[in-house]
Amino acid sequence: MLRHRRMFAVLPSVFVMILLCGKSQAIPAFSRQYGTSCSTCHVDFPKLNDFGKAFKDAGFKFPKDDESFVKVPPVLLGAPANKELFPHSIWPGSIPGVPPIGLRYNQFFQVVSANRNNFNLQDTTGNPANQQFIPRTDFQSGLFSIFTAGNFGSDIAFWVDDDFSVGGANAAGGLGDGYLKFVNIGRLLKLPTDALSLRVGQFELDLPFSQARSWNLSGWDIYDQSNVGALGQNVNNAFALSNAAQGIEISGGHHYRGYQYSVAIVNQNTGGTPGAGNNVPPVVAYTSDSNFKDLYARFAYRVNLERDPASRNEIQAAGTTGPRDHTYLSLGTLYFYGRSVQRFQGPGGSSQVLTAREPFYRLGGDFSFNYHTFNLFGQFLYGRDQNLTPLQAPGSPAHFSGGFLEADYLVYPWMMTILRWDRVNSTADYLNGIGADQNNPPPTPFFSPVSTVRNRFTPGIQFLIHANIKTSIEYQVRPKQIVYSPTTGAPITDPFRTNSAVAGLEFVY
Amino acid sequence: MSRAYFVTVLVVVAMCLAASAGTISGKVSGVSGESVVYVDVIQGKTFPAPAEHPVIDQKGLMFTPHITAVQVGTTVDFLNSDSVAHNVFWTSVGGNKKLTHNLGTWPKGEKRSFKFDNPGAVPLLCNVHPEMAGYIVVSPTPYFAVTDKSGAYKIENVPDGSYTVAAWHEGAKNQSKPVAVAGDTKADFTLSK
Repeated sequence: MLRHRRMFAVLPSVFVMILLCGKSQAIPAFSRQYGTSCSTCHVDFPKLNDFGKAFKDAGFKFPKDDESFVKVPPVLLGAPANKELFPHSIWPGSIPGVPPIGLRYNQFFQVVSANRNNFNLQDTTGNPANQQFIPRTDFQSGLFSIFTAGNFGSDIAFWVDDDFSVGGANAAGGLGDGYLKFVNIGRLLKLPTDALSLRVGQFELDLPFSQARSWNLSGWDIYDQSNVGALGQNVNNAFALSNAAQGIEISGGHHYRGYQYSVAIVNQNTGGTPGAGNNVPPVVAYTSDSNFKDLYARFAYRVNLERDPASRNEIQAAGTTGPRDHTYLSLGTLYFYGRSVQRFQGPGGSSQVLTAREPFYRLGGDFSFNYHTFNLFGQFLYGRDQNLTPLQAPGSPAHFSGGFLEADYLVYPWMMTILRWDRVNSTADYLNGIGADQNNPPPTPFFSPVSTVRNRFTPGIQFLIHANIKTSIEYQVRPKQIVYSPTTGAPITDPFRTNSAVAGLEFVY
Repeated sequence: MSRAYFVTVLVVVAMCLAASAGTISGKVSGVSGESVVYVDVIQGKTFPAPAEHPVIDQKGLMFTPHITAVQVGTTVDFLNSDSVAHNVFWTSVGGNKKLTHNLGTWPKGEKRSFKFDNPGAVPLLCNVHPEMAGYIVVSPTPYFAVTDKSGAYKIENVPDGSYTVAAWHEGAKNQSKPVAVAGDTKADFTLSK
């Protein structure tokens, strides 16, 4: 039973994944504010070009001469001269002249291969709840989200995005990122420009490639990978790198050139359940259930390979037919350290609750190579959860590895082709998927990889109908699976892939 | 005696010339904003290219001025006053797509020049900022004017004679009509999109 619970927890279910897909976001508010098209900042929204990265690094401002580009002047919350009066006046700031609000809606259509119900058909309990049926084709509404971002002056940037669709992917709690970023606070310490910024709130970790703002219909598997042990491993860690984190982050450098780093201290929430207590009514709800705060660190360096000396130091290269992203090679690494809180009932059904705090870490390396409109990038990640308090001896760490490799080619400004390879190697996932308990049937669909390695190949193509309307098509060649007999545990099907084609249509305004 | 005679002849010639140099004025209606009105090709006449270089600036993600009229043979300077990269290109000149050209990219404060040897409208674009649009209307004669926002225009120093006068407006159908110029002459246009 425990195994199946774990299996349920680990399920980055291929079908649920579709529902969660397409988290992309672009910012129409900036289009309004600056009177410019999405393509100023995006290659194929929401994928940022170098200028978009510079815009984001600067705190959602043009990196130079921002005021000369603003078509709608900001509303001053105090004349600049009030700075002279400080501390006898409030430090003057500003708010955008128009409400910086953007809205986004998406919807999907998918076709799933004929073997999609292989698992359901094996259910022998007679319980209709276990006989869920996966249709051949399906239309799905995605999410309707609001997002707002901008700058309050004094280099204080803000971002909030929230899905408020009742049936949307995030209907259970739709806040995506919500934070303030104090850009370039290093100037107060006389550090080099942009050497130090501070971000506070809820945010996606500074991943090499944003999962929350991915341009792909489906997310990268490795970023969604949690670590749930098998066979007595005292590991049931729901943490995944793509999870939203709450905490503070310091960062510096630039995403479009040179070095870039970030260090974040964030809530521990490996159990997936928030803290609660009747004796301490919270002013706001608790998010984590542990004193320990997790640590995330990232460092990357981008080598500019641009041949044109005149524009090597510019944000974008001076192409013969127009500005374009530089030719570059970026190399980076990430590290996450936490303590996975495991609470379980004491031996023999006692009333005692045992708590173990299992150290775990994730270590990754990434690269990105860009040549004109071709971008090849990848991520490798290794995850390890200690098993210091084994339920069954001998305990061993639970670990996984994997990553992805993706090639994007912008054929035309309105058409991008994508080829992806996702790979996850997890012995625990494999073991958790083997066999089934007739008395405790697993949820539908089953997750039973045929081996410890799961490969997914995903060619795709995306078209911009307008700069703010996009249609995306993905064909997902999924990892091989197999069905085991619920009674004998022996394989009763040949290995098969439940492939699917997904089309998405989204618009922002 | 001979000097007085010479001065008299000079005055008479000048008066004759003044009398034969008229104006064409009027209004372009049916559209809003600036238009360009110009005297079309005059058979058998050529005009020397002007030495001045009009400047079209890229500032605040806009082409400034939005519409520029020049005579055939004019060299236009394209300035980038923005701290972001731009490029300037056009897909055609007077609808002729073979005359497409891309000036490339250059940094803030610098210019690139191009000599327009073919008449017609030139739609200016930037491929990074597709919202940017500007127009150069290359007139085959030195007799042209950009209207004010109400559509009013005045072309001066047009020799008396019969011409074809054309009106151009962004996104509208061009219109041309024969106009006999004799002193101050009126020519109104009504354009439609």
